[in-house]
Amino acid sequence: MSDKKLHEDQKYIDGLAENNAFIIQAIYDKFAPKVINYIKQNSGDAYDAQDVIQETIITIYNQAKQKKLQLTCPFDAYFFLLCKRKWLNQLKKSKGKEVTINEEVLSKDDDAQVLSFETSIFENKQALFNEMFQQLGDACKDLLKATFKIKSMEEVAKSLDITYAYARKKKSLCIGQLTKLVKASPKFNRLNY
Amino acid sequence: MEEQDYIQFEAYLVGDLSEEDLLAFNMRLESDPEFNKSFEIYKDLTSNLEHQIANEREIFDFKANLDVISSQHFNAIHDEDLIIKPSPTSNFYKYAVAASVVILLGFFVFNQFGSPSYDDYNNFDAISLTVRSAEDDSFSKAEQNFNSQNYDDAIVVFNTILEADFSNLEIQLYKSIALVETNQFEEAEVLLNKLSNGNSAYKNKAKWILALNYLKQNKESECINVLKTIPQDAEDYKTAQELMKKLD
Repeated sequence: MSDKKLHEDQKYIDGLAENNAFIIQAIYDKFAPKVINYIKQNSGDAYDAQDVIQETIITIYNQAKQKKLQLTCPFDAYFFLLCKRKWLNQLKKSKGKEVTINEEVLSKDDDAQVLSFETSIFENKQALFNEMFQQLGDACKDLLKATFKIKSMEEVAKSLDITYAYARKKKSLCIGQLTKLVKASPKFNRLNY
Repeated sequence: MEEQDYIQFEAYLVGDLSEEDLLAFNMRLESDPEFNKSFEIYKDLTSNLEHQIANEREIFDFKANLDVISSQHFNAIHDEDLIIKPSPTSNFYKYAVAASVVILLGFFVFNQFGSPSYDDYNNFDAISLTVRSAEDDSFSKAEQNFNSQNYDDAIVVFNTILEADFSNLEIQLYKSIALVETNQFEEAEVLLNKLSNGNSAYKNKAKWILALNYLKQNKESECINVLKTIPQDAEDYKTAQELMKKLD
């Protein structure tokens, strides 16, 4: 991916990462109508569209902040595929609703398919990671929160009144425990490791 | 994986494996698929924790900003849909509008005389959390408890939601209201100070609730000091100004 040329629409990704209100506004103005139409044509209403769009934007934001998302395709196609996939998954979950896919609006852009798929995987990972974090004991939770908030391990050790070596060992064992929890989850196979 | 493996993962990520250990580590990454997989998970977990915890404030602000822009964009669309075809969801919306009109009327009538007290101002709008996450039970419980003024129960559910999503500032704001309602002034104050010093769309609402928190405790000068910081473009600016006049 790194040898591919960045698309000029990367500005939307960078704008989201910077919490730029103009960019967020522009995304709604330019790209939301297509999603709203699609969801309305496929057993949903504007409220459903509002949720799908909002959740999708939060996911893109998280990935952009964390993984330095590199857009090599138009934002339009990437965003639409993500919203569409999210909506179809929701329809599948809520039984009794017939799923109709309007083939005309499907994008044929390969890069958009690949990138949106990566983002969906990223979203699944983050959801599972957060869920498993809640299962950790309080000692691990507190240590990890302190570790990533304070950043300097020396200061973390000081604030928790333990030695540096012990703090670092505990940190790796806590993340190790999380690793085990994630691997053992029934949802693990959705993460593409 | 053994404990030692996780300790090595950490040492690798921090960059202080010896040259010899590094070589062995890289070889094992290639030859041992389970080791490799665990390392990838460990790395992603680290990156996720770093983002969620270190950027807590930024994520918080982003979500607030997004909330405001999303509502602005969709309110016009929902209004249109309401006129075209009334559906069960839009009925709810109608009732919500009707209810808030009643609340507003009650508010203005109530407010004509007497010295100000907290009860003149605590007519909080009904909150709606279920539209956003229909599948999540705790959101609907929180909404029900809050709207029927079972604030103690609401706080319990808000805490559950915040455990899973500690940067959800909409919930933090509602929790702070519930705290004021149940006279947990100190905890409310901490939360509201955090919200009102932030850079989010809930900043001014938090200031208003903080002022009410002081009003309820009869701390008039603290109340006035907070009211003064509510800017002209805030939703509660007018009411804040009125309250300030009455307190003077």
